[in-house]
Amino acid sequence: MTNDHGGTVTPTDSATVPTEVVAEAPRAAKISPLRRLSLGRYTGVLVALLAVCVYLSLTQDVFLTWDNFMNIAKSNSVIFVLAIGATFVIISAGIDLSTVSAATASGMILGLTLQAGWSIVLVLLATVFFGLFLGLLNGMMITKLKISFLVVTLGTLSIYQSFALVVHDGQTISLFGKPGFNVLGNFVNHDIGPFPILLVFDLILLLVAGGVLRYTGFGRALFAVGSNPEAARLNGINVGKIILFTYGIAGLTAGIASVVQVGRLTSAAPQADPTLLLTVLAAVLIGGTAYTGGEGGVLGTLVGVLFLGVVQNGLTLSSVSSFWQGTVSGVILISAVGLGVLRDRGFTLRTRRMARSPSALAEPPSPIEPGAPS
Amino acid sequence: MLRLTGIVKRFPGVVALDRVDLEIRAGVVHALTGENGSGKSTLARIASGALGPDAGRIEVDGVERRIATPKEALDLGIVTISQELTLAPTLTVAENVFLGRLPRTRFRTVDWPRLLADTTEILDSLGVRVDPRRPVSELSVELQQEIEIARAVSSRSRLLILDEATSSLSEAATSRLLEVVEQERAKGVAVLMISHRMPELYRAASIASVLRDGHLVADVPLPQTPETELVRLMVGRELGDYYRKRAIDPGETVLEVRDLASLDGQLLPTSLSVRRGEIVGVAGLVGSGKAELGLALGGAIPSVGTAQVLGRDVDLSQPRTALAGGIGFVPDDRKRAALLPTRSVAENFSVAWTNQLTRAGIVDTRTERQRVREAIERYGVVTASASSRITTLSGGNQQKVVLGRVFARDLDVLVLSEPTRGIDVGAKSEIYRLMQEFAAQGAGIVIISSELPELLGIADRILVFFRGQVRGEFTTGGLEEEEVAHVAVSGTRLESAA
Ligand SMILES: Nc1ncnc2c1ncn2[C@@H]1O[C@H](COP(=O)(O)OP(=O)(O)OP(=O)(O)O)[C@@H](O)[C@H]1O
Ligand SMILES: [Mg+2]
Repeated sequence: MTNDHGGTVTPTDSATVPTEVVAEAPRAAKISPLRRLSLGRYTGVLVALLAVCVYLSLTQDVFLTWDNFMNIAKSNSVIFVLAIGATFVIISAGIDLSTVSAATASGMILGLTLQAGWSIVLVLLATVFFGLFLGLLNGMMITKLKISFLVVTLGTLSIYQSFALVVHDGQTISLFGKPGFNVLGNFVNHDIGPFPILLVFDLILLLVAGGVLRYTGFGRALFAVGSNPEAARLNGINVGKIILFTYGIAGLTAGIASVVQVGRLTSAAPQADPTLLLTVLAAVLIGGTAYTGGEGGVLGTLVGVLFLGVVQNGLTLSSVSSFWQGTVSGVILISAVGLGVLRDRGFTLRTRRMARSPSALAEPPSPIEPGAPS
Repeated sequence: MLRLTGIVKRFPGVVALDRVDLEIRAGVVHALTGENGSGKSTLARIASGALGPDAGRIEVDGVERRIATPKEALDLGIVTISQELTLAPTLTVAENVFLGRLPRTRFRTVDWPRLLADTTEILDSLGVRVDPRRPVSELSVELQQEIEIARAVSSRSRLLILDEATSSLSEAATSRLLEVVEQERAKGVAVLMISHRMPELYRAASIASVLRDGHLVADVPLPQTPETELVRLMVGRELGDYYRKRAIDPGETVLEVRDLASLDGQLLPTSLSVRRGEIVGVAGLVGSGKAELGLALGGAIPSVGTAQVLGRDVDLSQPRTALAGGIGFVPDDRKRAALLPTRSVAENFSVAWTNQLTRAGIVDTRTERQRVREAIERYGVVTASASSRITTLSGGNQQKVVLGRVFARDLDVLVLSEPTRGIDVGAKSEIYRLMQEFAAQGAGIVIISSELPELLGIADRILVFFRGQVRGEFTTGGLEEEEVAHVAVSGTRLESAA
């Protein structure tokens, strides 16, 4: 297939690379610094997010206000915290279907211990450790009993949920006015300067998680295990331990998410929003973490959560029926992940598309930095 | 039959092919040679519709064509056997051989009796013995490659492209393949053959095109052109003595293995010892247990028996305990067991160094970057950058990364399984040099290989496996290939057989 634009860019180049850079690059030339700056697998989603934001700020007066933004940040915190844990699991080429159930169960522990008059510090420790314990339980069954992660977490999805119902006979525990609750209430509602404490907390969590993925031996090993477990094992990585830790982290984030959730609702409910799990997983996948494992990161997950959050906010502001929200999230998930799959499918498809329309360049490039804190 | 003119192909940061012209005629075996990363596979993929060129003309039988998909190539009679296996692992041998063209009954269901009969016939003609009903995933790499070959030759091809199809085949299987190629050629099929193994090219091809850095440097007739000349064209310089024999002065025993046997029964109790500075070759046919010796020493498969490194017991139950005991292992199946396909070149190096690079759980990224940079240079890895995905590298360059990361660990014992598979002549001699340097620094090396000339050239001693056991041991000075081959095939020495 002859192509008369001699300088047509090859397919993996993103829009961030000027055509000439590649066309004139000598053999084995250094990758352009522009490429290094580009944001990885989720660039496309980021661009789409900005487009949606621009559209909403033009059509909805309320959208472009500080309060609205902070509202988006707060109302997506639970999703974000859970999605951080889910990112680790999905990088390991697994999936944790039990994460929302674990958060619900941990929330009940929080409610019960607080109601029983424990000191708030003990309550928080108990809650978070309970989440960790549930995650490690998943991990033990997967690594020690060698049961598939899908089976294990599908099982515990229902077990943990049922536990949450059993412990208090299906009753919601109202914590309004309970001693110690004001600490929680402050955590989810108060601000530091112009910023909600919750937002600051989320950002710290993001930095810690990104740092763990990028700079720790564990993070490196996690990517290796997700990419090719046999190669990881032969290079001396204890694959079982890494997987166990990974599900432990997912459990830990479930525990933390339950604190945020209970704080926001001022009560511990034994049942969670049934769409929550799907939203969490969708956010991770939209953020460019591959369900096949071995690539992705938490910065992408942040973009994914924001994207879904902003779209939902937009639908609410434009008073579109909330029944449509599921459709919209589903379409976004399929198109975002679908774009990624198209990109990964080799060059043929793209080369041909490229040859026809030079405008088809705005695709996310492959990840640039090893283990970028994405 | 096929004419390519002015083909240009760029990848980010690399010009893989720069205005390459190639004409392949019917009834001719055309060799394509060049160093790792010189663009051979890229050219093959363009000819077979897997990649589109950025510029250039493709003519089939004098008519300009766009070969946009592998399907279109197949319809034109262009069939490829590639370096990387492309079988459907869960399907049976028969289904794989006839993938996409299964025989049907009147009711459009698969005609199983015919499928099995046809498959058996093809496999027999290739001398492959395997049950056509077995799923492909259960077969060894070599058998899988043979299935791939069976698929290619059974489809009515007019141009057969072999991209390092022999790299995972034993000599016997290679020989059978070359016979098949010759038959096809005699029938008027054009053949494009890519290989790093000189003897094969000289045996099969009548013309060789040499690529260097994406440029076509010459078309030369074979076998008239001497090998030294061909190698000079490929690497752009004279290559000295390939194996550079050194004076060996083996020191104390570094590896002592007693009664090591794999639990799968492929390796029967085997004892051996390796001294400092020694390179011990391990020969044998596929299935002789030589591969399992490597896997067992690397802790990759369950085994019984003992191994000591410098007098200390090594726990071979896990790769990480074997590594901790000082034994490094490089597996033969690069794609399945060695690469991290979704990660960068840098991470594919440093995955083996994680322990050395982490302090209190934190990776020292500065040292990491530095070491990766050094390794890329030292092992001559051709890559656009350290952060490129490992899968964008040519096969030989991937292998250099896989070897380099283990070399760089300073272990006492290295066990290398088929270390030069798919590596070009220049890089091969480079890797032999590194192995010798390593041995000279006091390491003991075990090299398991299907290539006898390589073992004769590099090893000080050769152990020959037959049905799970060592049946012959040779020192290499003045050793003839036949002597080793005889033990490998029959389990007895040449003298006693005569
Ligand atoms: N998908 C890709 N993306 C980026 N670069 C690529 C890609 N495929 C190949 N390259 C680069 O193109 C060049 C030629 O690669 P190619 O695979 O054709 O080499 P080769 O001659 O087949 O080498 P080998 O003998 O090692 O198989 C290499 O520098 C390689 O890194
Ligand atoms: Mg190649």
